[in-house]
Amino acid sequence: MILGCVGVAVLVALLVAIFICQFILIRKFGGKNRGLIDQKIDQWIYGREGMTSMPLPKTTKKMKWLDLVVGAVFFVCMLGSMNLSMVGFIAFKYLQPLSVLYVVPFLVFQYFLQRPRIGPLVLICPILYTIHAILIVAGVPIFFTGGLFMLSILLPFFGYMFLAYVIGHLYSRYALKKLKGITHLEGEAANGD
Amino acid sequence: MEIDKIIHEPARLRIMMILAGIEQADFNFLLTTLNLTRGNLSRHVEKLESTGYLKVKKSFNGKIPNTRYQLTQKGSKALAQYWENIDTVRRSGQS
Repeated sequence: MILGCVGVAVLVALLVAIFICQFILIRKFGGKNRGLIDQKIDQWIYGREGMTSMPLPKTTKKMKWLDLVVGAVFFVCMLGSMNLSMVGFIAFKYLQPLSVLYVVPFLVFQYFLQRPRIGPLVLICPILYTIHAILIVAGVPIFFTGGLFMLSILLPFFGYMFLAYVIGHLYSRYALKKLKGITHLEGEAANGD
Repeated sequence: MEIDKIIHEPARLRIMMILAGIEQADFNFLLTTLNLTRGNLSRHVEKLESTGYLKVKKSFNGKIPNTRYQLTQKGSKALAQYWENIDTVRRSGQS
């Protein structure tokens, strides 16, 4: 019972943290600080190199509603499976492998929804998440039990997301370097008309 | 068939190519990517803007002015036509 209450409290805290994070990332600041927080960080680190932007994804009203429905289904599935695991219907070992059924479609859907703003490298996350599940089923002990059982989903989910972000970022730096190799003008071409 | 001389210039062709792959880029990005001087880049983008190939958006980033460039539909079409013409020239040279 105590374990259950702690679990629900952690889940609620997690949802609040996700909401605050989304709020900070998506909402625009007013006045002098106008701009998204991630754009401000980018500006701070790479401001000297200048900025570019990719076209916004083409979203219709129907797509926005579908995104909301998919997001709601995802959270219901996540909370539901965690609760079922808490009361013993799903073994701790199979919590992460079972979550592949809703985590992977959710992430793939998000990729198709956010294109071309995010590239295919983001798909590294669902691929690694699936490999993680296969390894657990094969007997590799990479899952949590007891009070930390929720980390079986959360740690690979956010961990692989972060990894995909880092790889994507490194690739973008490499791509920029290659682009500069092609576009850098020397001598007459750089100074003439 | 005639090669578009506005696009054919190396710096302007590169500006058009960079902008064709993204939504918009600011002056500093083009400056660091192309390795041009400020005056030279200004001259090239002015030429492209006056032809209607580029759209210029000016804004302020706090107190710092920020100029962003975007390829227009006319510019996209002109670039596509330019590549087609270059291909035609290449093919006729081979045959």
